[in-house]
Amino acid sequence: MNQAYLGIDVGSISTKGVILDDGNRLLASAYIWTEGDPIGAVKKLVSLLEKQFDKENYRIVATGTTGSARKLVGTIVGATIVKNEITAHAVGTITFYPGVRTILEIGGQDSKIILVENGVAVDYAMNTLCAAGTGAFLSSQAKRLGIEVEEIGGYALRSKHPTQIAARCTVFAESDLVHKIQMGHPREDIIAGVCNAVVANYLNNVGKGKNILSPVVFQGGVSKNAGVVAAFEKALGCKVTVDPNGHLMGAMGAAILARRSAGRKEFDFAIEEMTFYTREVSCGRCPNQCEIICVYCENKLIDAWGNRCERGAITA
Amino acid sequence: MQAMQPKKKVAFPRYAEYNCAVRYLVEQGLEATCVLQPALTRHTEEIGAKYSPDFVCTPFKTVLGSLIEALEAGADTLVMTHGLCRLGYYGELLEQILRDLGYSFEMVNLSQYSTGRKKDWLKAAQRINPKIKLPRAAAALLETFKMVDYLDEITARYYQNCGFDATGGEYARAYRQFLTALYRVRSRAEIENAYHEARQAFQRIPLDKPAHPLRVGIVGEFYTAMDAFSNLGTEQKLADMGVEVHRWMNVSHRFLHYSGEKNLNVRIKDLCTYEMGPTSTANIWCARDYAARGFDGLIHIKSANCTPEIDIMPVLQRIGSEYKVPTLCLTFDSQTSDVGLMTRLEAFYDMISQRRRKTF
Repeated sequence: MNQAYLGIDVGSISTKGVILDDGNRLLASAYIWTEGDPIGAVKKLVSLLEKQFDKENYRIVATGTTGSARKLVGTIVGATIVKNEITAHAVGTITFYPGVRTILEIGGQDSKIILVENGVAVDYAMNTLCAAGTGAFLSSQAKRLGIEVEEIGGYALRSKHPTQIAARCTVFAESDLVHKIQMGHPREDIIAGVCNAVVANYLNNVGKGKNILSPVVFQGGVSKNAGVVAAFEKALGCKVTVDPNGHLMGAMGAAILARRSAGRKEFDFAIEEMTFYTREVSCGRCPNQCEIICVYCENKLIDAWGNRCERGAITA
Repeated sequence: MQAMQPKKKVAFPRYAEYNCAVRYLVEQGLEATCVLQPALTRHTEEIGAKYSPDFVCTPFKTVLGSLIEALEAGADTLVMTHGLCRLGYYGELLEQILRDLGYSFEMVNLSQYSTGRKKDWLKAAQRINPKIKLPRAAAALLETFKMVDYLDEITARYYQNCGFDATGGEYARAYRQFLTALYRVRSRAEIENAYHEARQAFQRIPLDKPAHPLRVGIVGEFYTAMDAFSNLGTEQKLADMGVEVHRWMNVSHRFLHYSGEKNLNVRIKDLCTYEMGPTSTANIWCARDYAARGFDGLIHIKSANCTPEIDIMPVLQRIGSEYKVPTLCLTFDSQTSDVGLMTRLEAFYDMISQRRRKTF
């Protein structure tokens, strides 16, 4: 029986899962939409992974979760390690690209940059307060233009004269975009302009003041968009590598971290069948009114968090 | 017989733990009553944000909320600080908003008295108590300064060591007891007593601290960097990960023992030509000092829309890359979530601890 490691990355827009073996080979992987329901998405993810997984020869001995729902999902799947997505992405990428110097990452709601030196992350930045220039912006503009978000790349690459679009702020970019559409700019040029705007916004916000050195690896859902990749290569003047599994890098990082950490607990695919639900309670013990999230499995409280002090502590 | 003037009920916005010193000065020095409104909570922030202009910096919202809570608690005289950035105009704006809301109170806006002449400070004090006894007030003022000194010293020691408490809570308890004592003191002797008790407790409590712990230096905006509620307890969160947290910026360093804007400015002449704002010079100097002393990381804390602190970010980036110190900039707004902060702090911790392992 060989050992395998499960990594799950639950983001705002998509949920990713991988199973790796001891040599970091991909045994199973899945990528689905979160659709505002992280618990449902994880159950679906686990069933998709189960279908690809060779239970005869492998067993999952450790599980890592990451992404914005890492804590909730970590509780549900019984994770042995719960890690923030910045570290997970850095670990995943450095494992597969040991020479990498800059990691660009654009996801559904967030974007980050990680600078690497000698295989160690030395600086990072992550967008704050504003989700301009992330995947959510791209998909809403695709909808406006009546195309699928997956088609953006093809359109952008066909453009000869990308339209200039104000990139400072999503709200302004959108009104500028509507204006340019009504002026009669061709669709290809508008879409290429949107891709340039995403890159300009990224480099002006999270990339500001950071020394971007080659080799550059670009990942996150938006890295699947060839138009944005081309815009990055043009803006940075160097090759930008996109791993075929770049959208799974956070989940792979989580699986690798699970392998490296000491915790061991066999993963049980039975969670697909269990009912989980959460309830929010407002702690009334002081005017902070902390929102405490209680997680239940089969009507039994398994964990709770969200309190700022002991007064709001609820234990399973 | 002379009619007794009722004592004024004075309140100052909640600000980190400095309200204990305000209370001491008002009650022991000015012989008025100090109304201590509740500590800052989300409720404070909500009522403050409700009546504030949306794009004003977050401390304005918190301060407005805190003054409303003070008025609700029975204060009849509000004191607002002067300031060297937009803060200097806040007193007037706060007063106008509160009057529009229908509150009646007396406003002592220190901006009107910060002329540089000592005589004018006396006028402000006389607004609170017209029969102020000068020798008593002067003595209390010096004692208040001492108190702020002690508070800052103990607080700095607390955040440098609490992450290594071997007893699982004694250190935090000693610090809380010290704060509680400071809110109750009524004399110089009691101040000294509280301070010595805290020092002894800190010396007594066993620490489990490595010879070279991870050290992170915090710089930033005067309100948000110091006020644990406003920065969602960034210092405590970092310390709990096992980090020695340093913050030079506090009231005693910036006001009581400040070497002066010009004297500090010459030390960073190579980085910036002009003075840039109330705390910018000190922050730049301090960040470079931390970097030169081999700190593992720098964290810059500011509220959204704080112009002077936005201005220093490029300089901090430069210091970070010249000294190869990871630098994290955090912006706090009234909606900033705890989860987002934890993500960034955990990643920062992972990064600096990994770097340490590779370099040593």
